[in-house]
Amino acid sequence: MIVAERVTGAARGFMKQIRIARSAWLAVAYVCVLLMALPFVFRLDGRAHADWLQFLGRFHPALLHLPIGLIVLVPVLEIAGVRRAALRESADFVLRAALALALPTLALGYMLAYGAGDTGTTVTRHMWGGIALCIGLMLCLLTRPAWALGGQAFFYPGLLGATLLTLIWTGHEGGSITHGSDYLTRYMPARLRTLFLSPEQSGASADSFYAQHIHPAFQAKCVACHGGNTEKAGLRLDSYSEVMRGGKDGAVIVPGRPEASMLLARVTLAPGDPHFMPAEGRTPLTSDEVTWIQAWIKAGATATATNTPGVNLAGAPSIEPPPQPVGDYSQLMPEIVRMQHGLGAKLVPLSAKPSDGLILRTVDAAPSFGDAQLAEFQKFAPYIVEAELGRTAITDASFETLDKFTHLRALHLEGTSITGSNLAKLSALTQLTYLNLSGTKVSAQSIAPLKTMVQLRHLYLFNTPAQPGEATTRSTP
Amino acid sequence: MKQHPLCTDCEPEVDITNLPIPAGLKREWTAIETRRRFLGRSGKVLGWAALASLFGESAFLERAARADVKSSVTSPGRNTLGVPHFAPKAKRAIYLFMSGGPPQMDLLDYKPNLASQFDKDIPDSVRGNQQLTGMTAGQSRFPIAPSHWGFKRYGQTGTWVSDLLPYTAKMVDDLTIVKSTNTDAINHEPAIMFINTGNMNPGKPCLGSWLAYGLGSMNDNLPTFIVLQTKTNPKENNQPVSSRLWSSGFLSSEYAGVGLRSGGDPVLYLADPDGVDREVRRKMLDAVEEINRQTLADVGDPETNARIAQYEMAFRMQTSVPELTDLSKEPQSTWDLYGPEAREPGTFAYNCLMARRMAERDVRFVQVYKRGWDVHGDVVGVLPMLCQETDRACYALVTDLKRRGLLDDTLVIWAGEFGRTVYSQGGLSKENYGRDHHPRCYTTWMVGGGVRPGITYGETDDYSYNVVKDPVHVRNFNATILACLGIDHNRLTYDFQGLDQRLTGPQPAYVIKGLLA
Repeated sequence: MIVAERVTGAARGFMKQIRIARSAWLAVAYVCVLLMALPFVFRLDGRAHADWLQFLGRFHPALLHLPIGLIVLVPVLEIAGVRRAALRESADFVLRAALALALPTLALGYMLAYGAGDTGTTVTRHMWGGIALCIGLMLCLLTRPAWALGGQAFFYPGLLGATLLTLIWTGHEGGSITHGSDYLTRYMPARLRTLFLSPEQSGASADSFYAQHIHPAFQAKCVACHGGNTEKAGLRLDSYSEVMRGGKDGAVIVPGRPEASMLLARVTLAPGDPHFMPAEGRTPLTSDEVTWIQAWIKAGATATATNTPGVNLAGAPSIEPPPQPVGDYSQLMPEIVRMQHGLGAKLVPLSAKPSDGLILRTVDAAPSFGDAQLAEFQKFAPYIVEAELGRTAITDASFETLDKFTHLRALHLEGTSITGSNLAKLSALTQLTYLNLSGTKVSAQSIAPLKTMVQLRHLYLFNTPAQPGEATTRSTP
Repeated sequence: MKQHPLCTDCEPEVDITNLPIPAGLKREWTAIETRRRFLGRSGKVLGWAALASLFGESAFLERAARADVKSSVTSPGRNTLGVPHFAPKAKRAIYLFMSGGPPQMDLLDYKPNLASQFDKDIPDSVRGNQQLTGMTAGQSRFPIAPSHWGFKRYGQTGTWVSDLLPYTAKMVDDLTIVKSTNTDAINHEPAIMFINTGNMNPGKPCLGSWLAYGLGSMNDNLPTFIVLQTKTNPKENNQPVSSRLWSSGFLSSEYAGVGLRSGGDPVLYLADPDGVDREVRRKMLDAVEEINRQTLADVGDPETNARIAQYEMAFRMQTSVPELTDLSKEPQSTWDLYGPEAREPGTFAYNCLMARRMAERDVRFVQVYKRGWDVHGDVVGVLPMLCQETDRACYALVTDLKRRGLLDDTLVIWAGEFGRTVYSQGGLSKENYGRDHHPRCYTTWMVGGGVRPGITYGETDDYSYNVVKDPVHVRNFNATILACLGIDHNRLTYDFQGLDQRLTGPQPAYVIKGLLA
């Protein structure tokens, strides 16, 4: 009897749900069609529309975090409801609240894109994501009562899961519009980067001035708004061909004429000017970058030229390896200090920081400083970063000792009698960036082994048989 | 007071009673100075003395430690100040000082728009309310004098350089040109003191002395800081250059610049006189040192230490200076580079060659003074002479340092004390003009260790009158030089007159990061 009553009660309840749902289903279906039709009625055609749309639209980023938080809260409440039923009851309310906020957020977002004339794949994806999210929420709301009563065990959870995934994807697309698509990966460690990302395409030859200097500047400062994701004013700056194609107002680069190039004009306005680019408080181009762009345009704005007159490349930050700290030599300090008060060779700290290492200075005693004297410094060898052995009496035999100076970055051998016959020994010095062999007897043949030392950037051979009367700094290994 | 037995002029004994003070006060003093009061007061004095010794001990020790630094004879200041504060890019510096104020708009600060404004008045909006020197303040108008010389672009950097500087033009890709240097002083002496010592008034140590004090010597056989003066050309307007520009101020005189003479013996009386050999000289110096050490023990004046150190230095210089100045072993390539003038002692070219030889021998700081840039009139006549004397030598020095591998750790600085006005001082004609002092902007350059090559830093307006972008005040210029040499200008200080004195003075100074490599 009691069992029968319960069964009929449940059945009546379920029928009641279905009945309510039927009108609700119709309403939901109607809203869905409206939402789906939206992009076809108000096409995102890349033109800006009324300012009030943009005014309201800009509240989209302010509002959107509220529904996101609520949507994420729903599954939390549902799962926690296993333990505490009261929480599950509140989930329904949270879901309704989320939907109530998601719809205006969608509307504002649409106003923003439509008003500002934003187009591009990311904008489109973000828009469809937002629409899908609203539809998903409504469907969740419809199916939840049935699930709560025990029927349709998998329909609602599956729908909720899909809605959450849509949320993450939509949110990411939205973030890419604001911060640029490489926002998350820009500082990714190089090893991870090679795993996940295909190399950047600039649309120009890799060693060209464009690929080396202009493209990275655009990537860092411009493509967040003028890229594949968002094409403000119809302009894309993410590849050479797009840069040259220009935007809806025509070409932005006029080869050879920086003064007629709109792009340059816009980035060189006063920062307070409403037309100044990058807009909206984004990081402006540095003066170097502006100079590069200007010089590149003046030189014809090609995709292949490697050398652009009027541009300082020597001034680009050097990529010399950072110095390796030397070990702890405090035990040897008394001896080092004693040496400094004499008039012979001495060890001098490079700076107040002990780990910067020591300089071996022989200038006071150069004529009497030979291989035997050098050998006495062997115990200090790992702490010496610079050996000033110019004009000393050392010979080729000194290389037997010198290869122990593992932290050596600079080696002065100018004006000594070395012939370079065993320069190959120096390849043990992996940190050596400076080698001065001026005024020695080294020949082109004897310096050949140095070619394998890639880190050796400054090699001086003035006044030697290897390079009589000629100067050089090897700038690239 | 006890009278000296041989003194005939009897001096009355001093006593409160016969001092020229009011009689009432005397009575009061004699009344209160009782035994009880005396004992009571001495108790308090002892208490204060004890307290002072408790509190003051640390400060006292610090002072003593500093005095100790000064007294190390063979290695002045070495490694005891915690300097360099960070790993330096440059170990040594060569300062080519263009005394008088080179006209920036005729050399490196190209102003193409001036040509069309010949003889027009400089707009008031540009000149503002600037005070002028007495030499042009009385002028009824300030007609713009465009540069008489053409400019061309050179190098990969496409830097504009005047036709007057064909050699400098060849190295623009290496230079760090600062177009926005500016100073506070408008006349020579205060301005030249200011850029050298950070203060317009004499008495402060100069850049070279601070470097000698902070970084110490690298070569114990030569002075740490050497000054070379260039022989004057009587056709030029030579402003005086005095030894207070290389004075060590309140620092020990060991750190003062040592001037080598521009003619004859570079250091007077350095050679031993006839009949005195090195052995005798050594004995004499040992005896003098003995006496000096006694004086030091008696008097405790640290300057005695400086004197001992200088005697020893002079002894070592007896061999090192002749070696330094002996150019007979210079290869032909040197003369090809510096030109024939370099063979004549005292010319700017010779001094540049000497500066390179000093850099090779690890002299910490060499300052070469070239006078005559004070072109108040006859710019067209005088400026080519000045450029002809200096342009090739500057290029030769930089190139020579570069090919010998010395430019990596040597900083070369080219600067004057101020710039010159765009308007003409005195008559302006198509053929000639003059230029007055101008502190608001001028052009300097650096090259070598620590600075970023191939850049032009700062911009001036169309009249080269005001800085419009990235100003570099002389204080900051000096702070940047110190940074290249591994020194934090705020931390290299010396306690004097109750102030932690520093090269950049008490006002805040900043390292110009944009100039650094």
